Amino acid sequence: MFGKEVSYLSDTTQSPEAEDAPLLDSPPVPDRGATLRFVTLSVPLTGFAEFDLHATGMAQLYLYTAQRQVGETRFDAFLDTVEKESNPWVDPLALTSTDREIARAVTYLWYTGAWPRLAVAAHADLRREVPNAEFVVAPSAYTEGLVWRTFNGHPMGAKPPGYGTWAIEPASTPSFSAIASECAPGEEPMGQQDEEAGAVDPAPHLLPGPRVSRDIPPSAVPTAHAANAGGSNE
Amino acid sequence: MTLTTTGAEAARGHYDAVIVGAGWAGSLIAKNLDARGWRVLVLEAGEGETQTWSGYLDSLETFHSAVAKVPNSAYRHNRAAPSPDVLDLSPKQLSAQDEREYIANGYFVQNGPLPYGSDYIRALGGAGMHWLGAVPRMHAEDFATHENFGYGRDWPIDASVLEPYYAEAEHQLGVSGDAAEQRDLGVVTDRDYVYPMHQIPPSHIDNHCREKVDGATITDPMGAERTLHVTGLPQARNSTPNPNHHHNTTHGYQPKGAVGLPNYGERCVGNASCVPICPVQAKSSPQRLQDDFSDRVTLATRSVATRVLRGHDDRVRAVEYRSYGDPASPVSEPHTVRTDIVVLAGHAIENARLLLFSELANSSGHVGRNLMDHPTTLAWALADSQVGPFRGPGHTSGWEEFRFGRERASRAPFRIEISNWGWQWSTGAPMSNVAAALGLGGDADGSVRDSGHLGPELRRLLGDSISRQLQLQIAIEQWADPQNRVTIDPSRYRDAMGNPRPIITYDLDDHVRDGVFAAYHVSERIFGELGATSYTHHAPINGAPRIGHFRRGDTDLTYSGAGHGAGTHIMGTDPGDSVVDSFQRTHDHPNLYAVGCGSMPSVGTSNPTLTMAALALRSAERIHRDLVELSQPAVVRPRPAEDAKEMV
Repeated sequence: MFGKEVSYLSDTTQSPEAEDAPLLDSPPVPDRGATLRFVTLSVPLTGFAEFDLHATGMAQLYLYTAQRQVGETRFDAFLDTVEKESNPWVDPLALTSTDREIARAVTYLWYTGAWPRLAVAAHADLRREVPNAEFVVAPSAYTEGLVWRTFNGHPMGAKPPGYGTWAIEPASTPSFSAIASECAPGEEPMGQQDEEAGAVDPAPHLLPGPRVSRDIPPSAVPTAHAANAGGSNE
Repeated sequence: MTLTTTGAEAARGHYDAVIVGAGWAGSLIAKNLDARGWRVLVLEAGEGETQTWSGYLDSLETFHSAVAKVPNSAYRHNRAAPSPDVLDLSPKQLSAQDEREYIANGYFVQNGPLPYGSDYIRALGGAGMHWLGAVPRMHAEDFATHENFGYGRDWPIDASVLEPYYAEAEHQLGVSGDAAEQRDLGVVTDRDYVYPMHQIPPSHIDNHCREKVDGATITDPMGAERTLHVTGLPQARNSTPNPNHHHNTTHGYQPKGAVGLPNYGERCVGNASCVPICPVQAKSSPQRLQDDFSDRVTLATRSVATRVLRGHDDRVRAVEYRSYGDPASPVSEPHTVRTDIVVLAGHAIENARLLLFSELANSSGHVGRNLMDHPTTLAWALADSQVGPFRGPGHTSGWEEFRFGRERASRAPFRIEISNWGWQWSTGAPMSNVAAALGLGGDADGSVRDSGHLGPELRRLLGDSISRQLQLQIAIEQWADPQNRVTIDPSRYRDAMGNPRPIITYDLDDHVRDGVFAAYHVSERIFGELGATSYTHHAPINGAPRIGHFRRGDTDLTYSGAGHGAGTHIMGTDPGDSVVDSFQRTHDHPNLYAVGCGSMPSVGTSNPTLTMAALALRSAERIHRDLVELSQPAVVRPRPAEDAKEMV
């Protein structure tokens, strides 16, 4: 929808209250320059190249969503921090705890099309009046989620790959260095070791645990306990 | 072409039969009576917007934008005809022993020791819109568990009676399957039988499991020893037509695709969202049958049956219903329509609710009793290599060996579904994978987490940990226990329109719990054979037990609802302890039928839709005979004297 409102894409310094605003209740949609900067700074957060991020068609809507959730000024400050800290990647621990949570929320948005539920401490620190609840930004945002591409999949309920494709072995997922060079051609990957896919199980705290009930949104699912929690069942 | 009308218009017509509910059972009976020339009114409580292509796309967008992509997430909330939702159940922090571990909000009132975890949808097509499309037949031994194994109730008919109706149902629903495999299982006995379409290709996950586990022997804790073989699942989903299929005098099969968009959806393209909605309608739904209705069938949506009215004798004479204009508000007006035969074809729980409120068919006291489901326990693991989850239909194969055999006497049998959709049901993957890998959402105390990844390492980790996800969904048979029941209390619990809400009392007895226990252990052994790392976790987390949690000895276990509600107007030969006869006609009222899974005396370990459809087709024949009898002209005999003269 935002993409079709061409008038928003032009640079504008008008405040939304201005009399000649394009539509009465129209939101102050981010301009092109701000959107380009947002996409550039989303590369170290997501591990996807600018080309892929633009191709979702969601950049402007995501920036707008983040500004609304975090506050426009606060989000600008966050982007300044990301710019300063990317080298070319961002170490989450180099960020303040609230900035770290914003970085995660923006990445979650790119990966799933939904704004997540934040850590309570971060939401409180932002002093926002918007509820701290997960929501899908738009139906098309769900289908443009990047998470499906991490494992060479497709969004469930869209972009079907064709009859019988589920029977074939999927292509292998890319290594760290392949991803890194895709995002930042020419840069040397720093400090990361390539792991043989499947050789090591990830630490349980990086995996989701059971949903206690179906009404728990994905961003609030607790992490897994030690592998083979069956042991603790006995 | 489906012609729908308003409730007010519908009340002005005359009908040979009135059918309440436009799901699978109601639509099959309506189509069948239509073909025999009878005039039928179908009353659908919910909305019918999915019968147009634009309305269907709106449902698809509703699903895309839902945070929790549960079975009802594609269908809008309806205040006039509310539906139960799996989102209605919340866990409760345990404070005292013996306290209920759940809170039930929403349409159902629940007061049982354990939650009834299943939903259904009141909309055109009913639960036949959000179902998976799994259509295994029941096995001969499933029809007589009491005689064979000493538990549950036996059917008044056996598998051989249903076999021709199973075949007809498979034709009408449009089933893809491998008959040879089903013959090996013993559920298809006709040597020459061929499904309408070839088997849906088994997934790469199925093949992974076949390579690693086929031929392995697994023993459950009760001593049942089984050698496992991956077996394909018959599905009501379009694949390649099988030219060797025969139906009556014709051969071959023409798949029926999308309603409202011709020549579309005639083969599954792998959207991987059968539940809650197939974007191309390659998954069969009752709308396909409705599309074939002639103008003898009147289909009225937004028409909520409130009561069936009794005549002066045992017969029922009319259906009372209320029509509404806006699902956002319960404002409605009443209508009454007279008819010769009434067929209740709502969900099992809705049929029971209607019979109870109408005070009909309950001389046995069994209306609402014997509520069943397939309690389903989940098991999940990471495979030792990538397996390609989140592709294709929800599940295409399973392990069937623990469904049968004498060990059923000591624990409920179970069917092991191999999921194609990773950890979605158990953990909310792949979205929850993103949150966990990022370290999003904070600790239990609300503070921002330290650990977590961003950038290329995040992407690599997700690719690795999602592509290896395996999940087993193990459906356990639940027998007909009169203690599990639906009641109403109109003085206390009504919905916004004023209809009584179902009150559910539900529990799992020891036989079923032992089945869950055995299923859990079998899943762990299968993961061992697969070389996979199990992450199955049934114990409470941070003091909160998962919905469906119970303990068996020292073992924590959990189950989910399968959406297979059954048994509320149970079938039997004795009017003293059953509600309907084998034709699903109520014992108490010769022209009142209650059809659907509610009639089933046992559910075996098969998804029940196909059996329900077979029963509905058998009932349709009986209803046709009833109507013929009712419309026989009186026999006018000439005087005997003249008779004699003519004989000369």
